[in-house]
Amino acid sequence: MNDAERKKGIRRTALIVGAIALAFYIGFIMIGVLRS
Amino acid sequence: MSTTVADLHDHHDDHGPAKGIGRWLFSTNHKDIGTMYLIFSLVMFFVGGAMAMVIRSELAIPGLQFVHPEFYNSMTTMHALIMIFGGVMPAFVGLANWMIPLMIGAPDMALPRMNNWSFWILPVAFGILLSTLFMPGGAPAGGWTMYPPLVLQTGDAFPYLIFSIHLMGISSIMGAINVIVTIINMRAPEMTLLKMPMFVWTWLITAYLLIAVMPVLAGAVTMLLTDQFFGTSFFLAAGGGDPVMFQHIFWFFGHPEVYIMILPAFGVVSEIIPTFSRKKLFGHDSMVYAAASIAFLSFIVWAHHMFTVGMPLSGQLFFMFATMLIAVPTGVKVFNWVATMWRGAMTFETPMLFSLAFVFLFTIGGFSGLMLAAAPADIQYHDTYFVVAHFHYVLVPGSIFAIMAAVYYWLPKWTGHMYNETLGKAHFWASTIFVNLTFFPMHFLGLAGMPRRIPDYSTQFTDFNTVASIGAIGFGLSQLILVWVILTAWKGAKATDRVWEGSHGLEWTVPSPAPYHTFETPPKARIANEAFE
Repeated sequence: MNDAERKKGIRRTALIVGAIALAFYIGFIMIGVLRS
Repeated sequence: MSTTVADLHDHHDDHGPAKGIGRWLFSTNHKDIGTMYLIFSLVMFFVGGAMAMVIRSELAIPGLQFVHPEFYNSMTTMHALIMIFGGVMPAFVGLANWMIPLMIGAPDMALPRMNNWSFWILPVAFGILLSTLFMPGGAPAGGWTMYPPLVLQTGDAFPYLIFSIHLMGISSIMGAINVIVTIINMRAPEMTLLKMPMFVWTWLITAYLLIAVMPVLAGAVTMLLTDQFFGTSFFLAAGGGDPVMFQHIFWFFGHPEVYIMILPAFGVVSEIIPTFSRKKLFGHDSMVYAAASIAFLSFIVWAHHMFTVGMPLSGQLFFMFATMLIAVPTGVKVFNWVATMWRGAMTFETPMLFSLAFVFLFTIGGFSGLMLAAAPADIQYHDTYFVVAHFHYVLVPGSIFAIMAAVYYWLPKWTGHMYNETLGKAHFWASTIFVNLTFFPMHFLGLAGMPRRIPDYSTQFTDFNTVASIGAIGFGLSQLILVWVILTAWKGAKATDRVWEGSHGLEWTVPSPAPYHTFETPPKARIANEAFE
């Protein structure tokens, strides 16, 4: 794996994992909204 | 656009650490940031420990001695928040920062500038939290679980509590992103996932847990904030909300949080026991699957914390059996540690002593956990000192002993010198005796019906409380030995690169102390293979 591929992999993994975290945050607030 | 380690190393090849305070404020070096995390957590352990001393002094004899009951409640609340979010979690993040790049042959964490942010958010968060001690109405006193409607009675401290929890969450999430990205993208050539050391594996699983549950905590406290200040009624019964829903959401975070604090400890112990048994870890792959199973199960057991709120029988049965199921992969781990030691050429240096105590005492915490998992019994144990005994056995001789084991194990690699083994053993024996003196009597207190979170108690509970208080003060004082060992760590004999005779892994192939930059070119496949075969 060269440096460019590694940089691309790092950014892709970071974005995916960050998106998962955001989805859990918004998702659980939505559960609260729907139940109240 | 984020900055990756590849960017930084394009431009900064041959430099050592910066001079002065700037080295620490602006550091992007994983070793510096790891050191800062570890020092921060040590300070927080002493701050949280001082609060524990207030609690145990007040409880040493019946009656009100030293503090107002409201302040006592603040102490239990702040002690928990500081020990969990300021002590145990940052200590493991510090160990991850120092050791994961060294163990996988990476030059640094993948996102080094974000790493700097992850750390420096923490002192701000805890500065805000500790400042609430001086606010009108005092520090938060509704328990670390922040259940509404009680927590909404917090005084001026309330928004500061919520803000500090958000900051701690942001720091943890950024740290977890960094760990995942580093492990997925920066491993040495030939190091397949199943060849990774157990500490790296357990941290990868822990990081996924953090990504899933810290935002849930953030969501829960955001809803508390809007209930208090913006007229919503998520948890307010008067407005059509449901206070029990907070408990469900909180414990959906809270139970995996328990495993966030124990899985890296499993990883540490899985590194140390093979070294001092001079054998390979028994059942490496089964250890990985067991850790992953524990992580999965941790998401489906949350309601065992709230059997007493009233739930359908089917719900009680599901959460009871799912909780008991966790004993299976945990048992696999304990079996594998014992099997690793079986017929090994064992020696008992300080890291091994702490690891052995971990296996034995954590298992006691596991057994009392099984007792609490039984719904009918839990109705009796709920909110008693039995619960306090249980989770302190899991967290103190569990997580904290593993952190101590890790510090003794890797300290020579960090400093380049051997620590004082005699003092290390003195620290171990004092800690082990006093930790049991503190927490074992709490089982009896709980079974006899003493409730938790009270500053006074009925006189029949006096003797065990006095013993626990003596133990707590002894345990607190014993930790000064650790501080002395760390402060004098640079005076010991020069450490070899490998440090321990039975050690394996890439971290032992670099000099002691580990140079400021390591593995700027990835280790040769052959070396990586030899280290892990």
